[in-house]
Amino acid sequence: MGFLTLQSLSKVYGELAAVADVDLSVAKGEFVSLLGPSGCGKTTTLQMIAGLVEPSGGKITLDGRDITHEKPSKRGLGIVFQSYALFPHMTVAENVAFGLEMRKVAKAERDRRVKEMLALVHLAALADRYPRQLSGGQRQRVAIARALVISPPVLLLDEPLSNLDAKLREEMQFELRRIQRSVGTTTIMVTHDQAEALSISDRVVVMEQGRMTQIDAPYRLYERPATAFISSFVGKMNRIEGVWRRNGASGTAEVAGLVLPSEIVDFADGAAVALSLRPEKIVLKAPGQGVTDGRIVNRFFLGSYWLFNVETAIGLIAVSVPNHGDEPAGEGEAVSLDWAPASLKVSALHAAAGAAA
Amino acid sequence: MSRSRTALTPWLLVSPGALLFLGLVILPLILTVILSFHAYDHTTGIRNEFTLSHYATVLSDDYYLGIFWRTLRLAALTTLICAIIGAPEAYILSRMRDPWRSIFLLVIIGPLLVSVVVRAFGWSMLLGSTGLVNQTLQALGLGTVKLLYTETAIVIALVHVMLPFMVIPVWTSLQKLDPMVEAAAWSLGASHFTALRRVVMPQVSLGLLSGSLIVFGLSASAFAIPGLLGGRRLKMAATLVYDEYMHELNWPLGAAIAIIVLLANLVIMLAYNRMVEARARRTLG
Repeated sequence: MGFLTLQSLSKVYGELAAVADVDLSVAKGEFVSLLGPSGCGKTTTLQMIAGLVEPSGGKITLDGRDITHEKPSKRGLGIVFQSYALFPHMTVAENVAFGLEMRKVAKAERDRRVKEMLALVHLAALADRYPRQLSGGQRQRVAIARALVISPPVLLLDEPLSNLDAKLREEMQFELRRIQRSVGTTTIMVTHDQAEALSISDRVVVMEQGRMTQIDAPYRLYERPATAFISSFVGKMNRIEGVWRRNGASGTAEVAGLVLPSEIVDFADGAAVALSLRPEKIVLKAPGQGVTDGRIVNRFFLGSYWLFNVETAIGLIAVSVPNHGDEPAGEGEAVSLDWAPASLKVSALHAAAGAAA
Repeated sequence: MSRSRTALTPWLLVSPGALLFLGLVILPLILTVILSFHAYDHTTGIRNEFTLSHYATVLSDDYYLGIFWRTLRLAALTTLICAIIGAPEAYILSRMRDPWRSIFLLVIIGPLLVSVVVRAFGWSMLLGSTGLVNQTLQALGLGTVKLLYTETAIVIALVHVMLPFMVIPVWTSLQKLDPMVEAAAWSLGASHFTALRRVVMPQVSLGLLSGSLIVFGLSASAFAIPGLLGGRRLKMAATLVYDEYMHELNWPLGAAIAIIVLLANLVIMLAYNRMVEARARRTLG
């Protein structure tokens, strides 16, 4: 039994099931992300945990206590809202102190804890400013400090980085993880940004149309996406449809009459399979030296790596190659693609197609 | 377009409004000020002589001072009651879902479409000695109360007329509020009431301020309601001015009273605005 558990939690708006049968168990101190496109029910799930949305069914327990129908003010959870929802008429210190004041913490103790928390988020110098005098990143940190100062059992983050510009977002991502580590608070973050979810979570929960489709550690999610949707949503992915040729205990994947090196799976002979191959697992070689030959259709320089689209016998394949400083093959040039057999993942086609529909 | 015409454009654009304002507000006001310094004789009428006697009369006579005091008192009371009713009303309105919100907004603004005079007569029918209120009280065996031609009647009717002017500015400032701010206060342990008091109220204070100024200004210069519901004896500033002009025919004295009321109103409103707005601006920016 986890520290925070959701049992067949659901929310129905009229005919629409915003969240359906969500089961999740979060361990103490864990950082879990709810990842999905907008409208997948991740925010509704978070709001049910926060107590801002009444569940239509199911149960939420916190540390063994049933909190399904408890008022938000009694749950004691820390929440960082997407808009930060800072109190504009209070200074940074007053914002952070608000939760302690509500808990009737004595003035001296309150001041000490506010100071500590502001130091943790590197805002000690700005304690007397008003929110409107702060930058986006600073406001975000005030929101985090305000949520954490009450020592909540669980911290809920609703798209905490979506209002920041790209560079700041990346910085805050690691900052968030640092703060979470040093406080050790169980954290649930809602995000639609896969890079954000992968980089700072212990586990990622992917949601699609109100349902959870995969719960896994970030690297497992990346390497072994359960559905076609997840593989396209998390990182870039080349998907090829093929046929499995069984050969005793072993077998090979075949696309357009071409045998591709792949992992070994236990499928029936002639089964339709979906093959997935990450662009960065592919190596470009001189023509004739790889698995299949092709021609570079276009090439993009993305700073730390190059991205190629290569026209081959098995379709248009995206390939990414780290930038080593030399200029690689250009558009129109012939190349050959090669990869380690374990990099080509094989899954049953019907399951993947079903989930994508 | 030539340079000189570009420079002239803004002036040309504001000129119709400016002329209208000048001709219909500033000019009559100046004439009123001039008139208030003219001498008056009951037998010969207005004389072309400069005098301060009207101001001296008004400011030293308990009769006039009493009416000024009543005007300020009733206007302040109306403002207070409007704030007490209007702020929660605006809050409830802002929390309504859409078909209902539009319907109730119309209900609140609707009375503005009916003439104040008609509404005042409506109230006099309700509050009269044989009106609906007294009939009900009698039916309940509670005896009758005198409501019509009392300050109570004036305040009731003024509150009714002025409420939209309080609800609308407060509602507008509530619209600007991030709805999640309240949720944030709850999550930090605040009860619904505490969240309203500590988080919502301070942020609508500017709306409340402008609402109060409008209601106070309109109430202090209200004419039809005190005229119809206060009767002949219970006068307020505007009805007093009317009487001086139309019954006493002492126009200079009426003008002096009008100017004094205008100045008093201005001073009170500016002071109030300064006091509240300075505080709110500092924190809300």
